Amino acid sequence: MIHFNDVTKVYNGNVKAIENMNFTVEDGELVIMLGPSGCGKTTLLRMVNQLESITDGDIMLNGKSVRHSNKIEMRRNIGYVIQSNGLFPNMNIEDNAMIVPNLLGWDRKKMRDRFNMLMELVGLNPDEYRKRYPHELSGGQQQRVGVARALAADPPVMLMDEPFGALDPIIRTHLQEEFLQIQKELKKTILFVSHDIDEAVKMADKIALLKGGKMMQYAEPARMLNKPANSFVAEFVGQDRVLKSMSLYTVRDLANALTLKPVIESPDSQNINENLSLRVAISKILNQEADQLIVENDNGTRKGSITLDLIEQFLHREIKESV
Amino acid sequence: MHDNFRRCPPITDLIEYFTSNFTFILGYTWDHIKLVGLAIIIAIVIGVPLGIYCSVNRYAASTILQIASIMMTIPSLALFGIMIPVLSLINEGIGTLPAVIALVLYSQLPIIRNTYTAISNVDPDIRDAANGIGLTTFQRLYKVELPNAMPLIMAGIRTATVLNIGVGAIATLIGAGGLGGIIYQGILRTNNTMILAGAIAVAVLALIADLFLRLIENLFTPKGVKK
Repeated sequence: MIHFNDVTKVYNGNVKAIENMNFTVEDGELVIMLGPSGCGKTTLLRMVNQLESITDGDIMLNGKSVRHSNKIEMRRNIGYVIQSNGLFPNMNIEDNAMIVPNLLGWDRKKMRDRFNMLMELVGLNPDEYRKRYPHELSGGQQQRVGVARALAADPPVMLMDEPFGALDPIIRTHLQEEFLQIQKELKKTILFVSHDIDEAVKMADKIALLKGGKMMQYAEPARMLNKPANSFVAEFVGQDRVLKSMSLYTVRDLANALTLKPVIESPDSQNINENLSLRVAISKILNQEADQLIVENDNGTRKGSITLDLIEQFLHREIKESV
Repeated sequence: MHDNFRRCPPITDLIEYFTSNFTFILGYTWDHIKLVGLAIIIAIVIGVPLGIYCSVNRYAASTILQIASIMMTIPSLALFGIMIPVLSLINEGIGTLPAVIALVLYSQLPIIRNTYTAISNVDPDIRDAANGIGLTTFQRLYKVELPNAMPLIMAGIRTATVLNIGVGAIATLIGAGGLGGIIYQGILRTNNTMILAGAIAVAVLALIADLFLRLIENLFTPKGVKK
């Protein structure tokens, strides 16, 4: 658990970077801090592992004040991932990934096993990459190693500063999805900085939207999109916020909430899997790829069909419920 | 007599000189290597830590680099001259000691400046990652910063060595020996062959030393840092 208790950061005696920040990241939650450049999100993140000092207030990490913790010891218990991956060019991939276990004095056998396990987890072949150097890897591969390094000593808490920000959109999407899978399995407590609202909606359990060092809204993605707390939040999440919120739901959610329409045999229909995001489903309808989308489950059994009005009905219901 | 100076010796004289005085030249070369080698080792022991210190203390950096620059601007002949009265106080006015001290002072600028620049230029993201992961300052220095700074630090040491081999030739004037002795004797005897032979020996020694240090550099530079 990361608990921000009235945290304030003042630079040069008068510039307030963070003002009385209060919020809590619960165990196993992924919280994304979002906001325009200079809003203080990175500063706030770096205050957790004391790369930035705290002027006033305190941050409690699993009940312990970070101000009164041993910095070095504390940092070794926090996974840290940065945008430019920060791998050490002089070390091969195994030494890079195992740096914290190495500092903690793990034995060779344990480190090797951990390396193999983590590399499989992030989707890289351990034996192929073990002896290679960072500059021989692509940006996406480097960032996978960066994530493996952060997970190496199995820290309960992770800090991630725009980890996928420097990657091209296709690789970014891949890594986001893979990371979500990893998180589902590991249930780390994660504080994550991003400037990309879509990334936040897709990945976060809660979003903290900051502006000028102040919290604008702290809420679940659906709530933030459907019920922005003020005009800044509404503007930041975008006027297409309803469309964005649709990526939070799958066709199955709709099927569970409402009765699907019966299937009418027609040449203009297309089969979709029930795990498809509602956002993709509606774009298929709007794109006139099909008049009717036939919903199938994983076994290929037809469950019914969805149309535009059914989606509309579902959205109204969800927005009302989330508010 | 002055005509002797204007005449460039034929190459056969030079070859003849080298072959008939081989052991003599080798002896002078060995003295030269000992003088410069000792000076460079001492210069590294002083200069590299000073360069590292400069990288963590910007205020000290400007002062230290300025002093090292001033050392460099003193003409080598004058620097050797200054050593005589100063070290005469401990009866070491001439010989190896003043020469080594002068060469050490001379090598400081390239070594300190390159070490300082190399460490300051380590990618800030890498330093940030090292801090965030929980490396102590000392661990960060020897596990991350020094290995990545190695090529530039070695370049500074190479510059200092080549420079010292050249300047070391003048040290013969304060009785420190070395290849300068052949050149100096050549001047005294107006023997152009000797002057040229001494100069060539100094140049060849500098080239070989540079090559040797490149090999060492290669040995010490981590694989991932080599481009």
